[in-house]
Amino acid sequence: MLVRAVLAGDPAAFAVLVDRHAPACLRFASRMLGSREDAEDATQEAFVRAHRALARYDEAVRFRTWVMSILANRCRTTLLHRHRRTSRVIVDGAAVEQAAGPSTDDDAELRDAIERALARLETAQREAFVLKHVEMLSYEEMSAITGAGVSALKMRVRRACERLQVLLREDGYA
Amino acid sequence: MREQQEDDQLTGALAQAASMLRAEPVPRAGWREALLEAVASDEIDQMPLHRWSVRPAAAIAACAACVIAGAALSYGVLRGPAGAPAPGVAASSVRNGDASLPVRFALEAPGAVHVSIVGDFNGWNPAGLPLHRMPDGRTWEVEVGLTPGRYAYAFVVDGRLARDSSAAESGADDFGVPNSVVLVGGS
Repeated sequence: MLVRAVLAGDPAAFAVLVDRHAPACLRFASRMLGSREDAEDATQEAFVRAHRALARYDEAVRFRTWVMSILANRCRTTLLHRHRRTSRVIVDGAAVEQAAGPSTDDDAELRDAIERALARLETAQREAFVLKHVEMLSYEEMSAITGAGVSALKMRVRRACERLQVLLREDGYA
Repeated sequence: MREQQEDDQLTGALAQAASMLRAEPVPRAGWREALLEAVASDEIDQMPLHRWSVRPAAAIAACAACVIAGAALSYGVLRGPAGAPAPGVAASSVRNGDASLPVRFALEAPGAVHVSIVGDFNGWNPAGLPLHRMPDGRTWEVEVGLTPGRYAYAFVVDGRLARDSSAAESGADDFGVPNSVVLVGGS
């Protein structure tokens, strides 16, 4: 057990946990925040907080679920502060630049379109959609991460999908 | 189950777009090392959080007990039994730091001629602590200095024992009428 190894004084074991779970965490944070820099900061902070609280880790919960729950909170906090600071939705800077210029790649256009659409979802719906259809988690694990009930999460995912389809259609995607 | 699976099934452009979102982003160079360095410079909190587990009913009961105890110490609402003179009121005031705390007992008994209080604090002597009629003509009061502790008591209204039916706790029935109990707290 890697967590036990870290607690026993083996710092290398935590590096293994980072290598195992950081890619998914970075992806989740990137889709939630729409900014690579913010995603990297949130993920780093989530791992630091997880490391600090490692003695309180409950082995009955998967480490991925635990660190994801910390990260989800960090993302919500980041979005809240961002909203207070700017009162507008910010999408990834690189995506905006690409969207503003001519695109020669259909895939890149669709990718830009879904990122813009994702940024227009309510936070709770975006979170549910990303956990379900990007991270491919079960509703039970999503519930453990978000603290929301399974029924509420199913409703959020459904509404997120409906909204995304509308937004994609507006961009010319059927 | 089948319906849920169909609900979770993305179609068309959204399915294609979602698959694009599953690509793992590549962090900036040195990000992993910076993360591990931040972790190494931080310390693990070795003290597990104490997890309190309180049943809602127990929490409500505890709150109610606190409210009742506080009310008893601050105001000590006292009433007589059915058939006795009208319900009475007793109030206490507390001076923090004193060994003896003044506790005011009051009883509303407009038709009574003589009212006294008996209890652990006066050896249950009916003549020991008479209550005084207040200007309103209905209320009888007396202030007693009590050290912190638990005291059983009862009123004597025109020679009849009358317990406080609204006191926080009732003591044993020593004299034919269940006693009332006042808890006097320390500072």
